[in-house]
Amino acid sequence: MIAYSHETTHSQEATDTKIKIFGIGSAGTTVLDRLVLDGLQRVDLCAIDTDLQNLSGALAQDKIQLGRETTRGLGAGGDPEVGYLAAENEQHVLKENFEDVEVAFILAGLGGGTGSGVAPVVARLAREHCQLVIAVLTLPFEFEGRRRCQQAAQALELIEQFGHAVVCFENDRMGDAILPKAGIAQAFAAADATLSQCVHSMIDFMRKPGLIHVGTENLLAALSDTGSRSVFGYGESDTDNRCNEALARALRNPLLDKGKMLSDARRVLINICGGPSMTLSEVQTIMEEAGRHINDHTQILFGACVDPDFGPKLSVSILSSVSDPPEPLPEVHPMRRRGEPATSQISDESQLFEVPHEERPPREPEPAPEPLEPAEAHEPIAADAGQLQKESAPKQEILQFEPVNRGRFEKSEPTIVDGEDLDVPTFMRKKIKL
Amino acid sequence: MARKHVLVGLEIGTTKVSFVAGESRPDGTLKILGIGQTPSRGVRKGEIIDFGTAQKCIHEALVEAETRCSMEIDSVYVGVSGGHIQSFNNRGMVDLPEDRDEIDEEDLQEVQINAREVTIPTQNAFLHTIIQHYYVDGQEGIQNPVGMLGNRLEADFHIIHGIKTRIQNSIRSVKEIPLDVEDVVLNGLATAQVVLDAHQKALGALVIDMGGGTTDYVVYHEGAVKATGVLAVGGDHITNDISMGLRIPIHQAEKVKIEEGSVVLGNALPGETIELKSELGFAGKEVSRETLNTIMHLRVREVFELIMKRIGDDQLIERLSAGVFVTGGCSRIHGLDHLAGEVYGLPVQAAKPRAMSGVTSAIENPELATAIGIVRFAQAMQYDQGQRGATPGMVRRIFSWLSGAGS
Repeated sequence: MIAYSHETTHSQEATDTKIKIFGIGSAGTTVLDRLVLDGLQRVDLCAIDTDLQNLSGALAQDKIQLGRETTRGLGAGGDPEVGYLAAENEQHVLKENFEDVEVAFILAGLGGGTGSGVAPVVARLAREHCQLVIAVLTLPFEFEGRRRCQQAAQALELIEQFGHAVVCFENDRMGDAILPKAGIAQAFAAADATLSQCVHSMIDFMRKPGLIHVGTENLLAALSDTGSRSVFGYGESDTDNRCNEALARALRNPLLDKGKMLSDARRVLINICGGPSMTLSEVQTIMEEAGRHINDHTQILFGACVDPDFGPKLSVSILSSVSDPPEPLPEVHPMRRRGEPATSQISDESQLFEVPHEERPPREPEPAPEPLEPAEAHEPIAADAGQLQKESAPKQEILQFEPVNRGRFEKSEPTIVDGEDLDVPTFMRKKIKL
Repeated sequence: MARKHVLVGLEIGTTKVSFVAGESRPDGTLKILGIGQTPSRGVRKGEIIDFGTAQKCIHEALVEAETRCSMEIDSVYVGVSGGHIQSFNNRGMVDLPEDRDEIDEEDLQEVQINAREVTIPTQNAFLHTIIQHYYVDGQEGIQNPVGMLGNRLEADFHIIHGIKTRIQNSIRSVKEIPLDVEDVVLNGLATAQVVLDAHQKALGALVIDMGGGTTDYVVYHEGAVKATGVLAVGGDHITNDISMGLRIPIHQAEKVKIEEGSVVLGNALPGETIELKSELGFAGKEVSRETLNTIMHLRVREVFELIMKRIGDDQLIERLSAGVFVTGGCSRIHGLDHLAGEVYGLPVQAAKPRAMSGVTSAIENPELATAIGIVRFAQAMQYDQGQRGATPGMVRRIFSWLSGAGS
């Protein structure tokens, strides 16, 4: 984020959090590069790898080479044992990097030697030193073979013990989001961009001075459904019709099924970010539109922020975890292997991905998302000092067409006589107060 | 050899499945040989919604009935019900040919066919066509015109029809047991046969059979069926109302309905409560007696009023000198007769199957009125057929083509 001189007041907390992102293995460091290219600021980046060649090309300011003796700078060779031992032996080096870090992001591609071996160790250390640990992981492609899938599954299990939130992308599914004709470099780049965008959005959630602020607790709440997979969508636009376009892009991913995936979610986090020109009616439009994809029981965690750097742009981020996954995460998942850093510029496109994600109970009790005021009640541009920390509110209930409960006859054919549904208790139909 | 005279009625009700085996005696009386009953599952509002489960229940009840009356049952008369059943009155007319002026059986059939030449929804089938009265050359009130002289025969019929596939579903589930289905009978009509005697039918009476899933009603006047109907509302609805109104589980609602409930208002002391004991999964609760009674009162009153509205003939109701007969499981609810009297302005009695010999526990039980009634109805049909030879006058056997899908 940016130096911010707008007179809008924001909480100290919003700016002060010290965040560090650890990219592990070639996949992790590539995503770090992507983040740098995307202009992420005021965040410390740390690349960790066993492969010296890969590490030397990384853009992160901190670089840690593990297994200097054991691998001689040649990488872990696909064996997580090698990565694990290297990380264990050089814990002290890793620990130094956690100093003062409040929030640690761990980026890794699981399945290979470094990602699967080192990431669990880093996650454990992070848990010991940081307040919040969020892991953003990829699982290998299925074609990468059974062994890599198993390695990835084991590593995921370990990391889940330590992370407060684990966002996990299946490469197989990310493939769906990319045109079949896209070159392999482009495909990997799109995956990187997706991961990078997800991290970027999460950091924004935590840090950006929100008019309606999405706090860490809301973020965790949105990802908290255990045994479910996460869904993330991002879209931005700067045209006249930017609110609809940005939302459409966020929902466009086939994984979201044009938003249908959201209908099962218990909580959906929606954050809208725009330049100073963003209007209340745009926010309303987006929320109304998004509301159509979400059922009445779903809690909406809503955030809005104004960022002068956005200029005419407006972005919509959607994050949620969806229970009852159509295909539960298989035991085994191939992992993506990335040779070269991605180069293409896809970041401006909407990217969505879904993230199978599981969360073990966080150390501190999960903060219940606070009820917020309805979006309409909020004045977007009001700059009152007192008004900063509004939380996103559950969306106003839509009046149900069949408001009355029919009890045990809920599923049976209604008995309609003279236009009245006799299955509904008489006292309710006659509106007699008991 | 006694086989021929044993008739078995089967009622697949919402709360229970009952078999009743009765021996038809030459003098027209009926002796109940045995009953078989199981709680019913897979039936909602008088209709089968889960074939497999319902069949299991039917089979259980069958085994029990066979054990009780020590004989094998291989064919039954099946009672049907459900909100889809409708009825109306219609008049048929035939002119006798020039060269003949004596009315014969064929004319009776023809007038019945003529009466049924009305439009009913295409998916519906005739269930019963019941003769009310014949008119010969405009002369009213003729019970049996065969052999009379005249040029024109007219007849009023009460015609009952329902959705064919739904009726077939009952037949089919029984056929798969396997049991032969002799015929189907509308439950309400069957009930009236045991609740009313000939005298009461002549005086005029309204029979209300309020069961678990449906409420069936029949109006008799001057010995003829004037109105029939089924309202797919029954005891389950009362229970559901209580459960929702008092916010207690369904089985607690059922219990409090039976043990404590009443449909009479103003009987509870101010502030009087009923304590529901805690059970596994239920924390226990105190509920207001007046609230409970109000919920039940409103529902039952509504049912009674809807029946009155459906009959749609206030003068007819006023002329029912024998009054109202309430039966079915819900007739056990405290104050139901009182409330019926209030709504209809007629004397009310909780009806029981009329005196007959046999298993007395069955006879005492209002819940069995329908099953016994089916047997009684079957007996009447056989008697009728015996009298008239091959042409049943009272009930046209629609069954042969109705059961097409059942085989």
